[in-house]
Amino acid sequence: MAADRLVDVTGKVCPLPLISLAKEVRTMQKGQMLSIVGDDPIFEESVTDFCRERGYELFDTHREGKKMTIVFQV
Amino acid sequence: MNKKGTILLLSGDLDKALAAFIIATGFAALGVEMKMWFMIFGHNCLKKRKSFFARRRKPDPAREGLYRDLATDNILQPMVEMLNRGGAEHLPLSQLNLMGLGPMLFAKMLKKKNIQNLEELIHSADDLGVKFYICQICCDALGLSVDDLIVPNVEIKGVSAYMKDTMDAHVNLVF
Repeated sequence: MAADRLVDVTGKVCPLPLISLAKEVRTMQKGQMLSIVGDDPIFEESVTDFCRERGYELFDTHREGKKMTIVFQV
Repeated sequence: MNKKGTILLLSGDLDKALAAFIIATGFAALGVEMKMWFMIFGHNCLKKRKSFFARRRKPDPAREGLYRDLATDNILQPMVEMLNRGGAEHLPLSQLNLMGLGPMLFAKMLKKKNIQNLEELIHSADDLGVKFYICQICCDALGLSVDDLIVPNVEIKGVSAYMKDTMDAHVNLVF
């Protein structure tokens, strides 16, 4: 599924991915898809917690080496 | 009900301020309504760094007078202001300070690891809607002016407001 927005936080560490996500989500409308790419060791857990905490639905997670892409619906 | 949290920062050390702001920004990003309180040397990280010899404005009754009792000020307030200059990028470490070498090495380490420095974290926190409060008696005793802070919208409050906020919150952290 194509995402409406893409956030790249490659090379950034906790809590920057969360901060970028919170700022991006603020400018989006309900139902839009957001894709986030990062390579922080705790990236997956951070983003999953972010979605669970805010009630967003996770759609897709895939890993390529260290890089990880997560897609969710706002 | 919205989740709420408060952080009380008492220490003027870089490591503690960094921990406080990382937790505040992280929690705020996750949707928790965060309030940060600063007491004693805690407000040092919010101060604009001024040179030791910089000309300092005389406290204005129409501005500082609103939250400070200027009549009881004496020579000690300008002296504290001169010696306790603060500045987010000039705070000492509580351990391994090595007379100022520690914070420099620490800053290098953070940069290499892509971790935000304290000033960026403060601005991120402000951007995410974290609210800042400073204790009124600390402002008065240490001769602090709100105009000398790097973030706008800092409120001066007392212990009653702190009580309301902490009793209302799910978590209250003290650094």
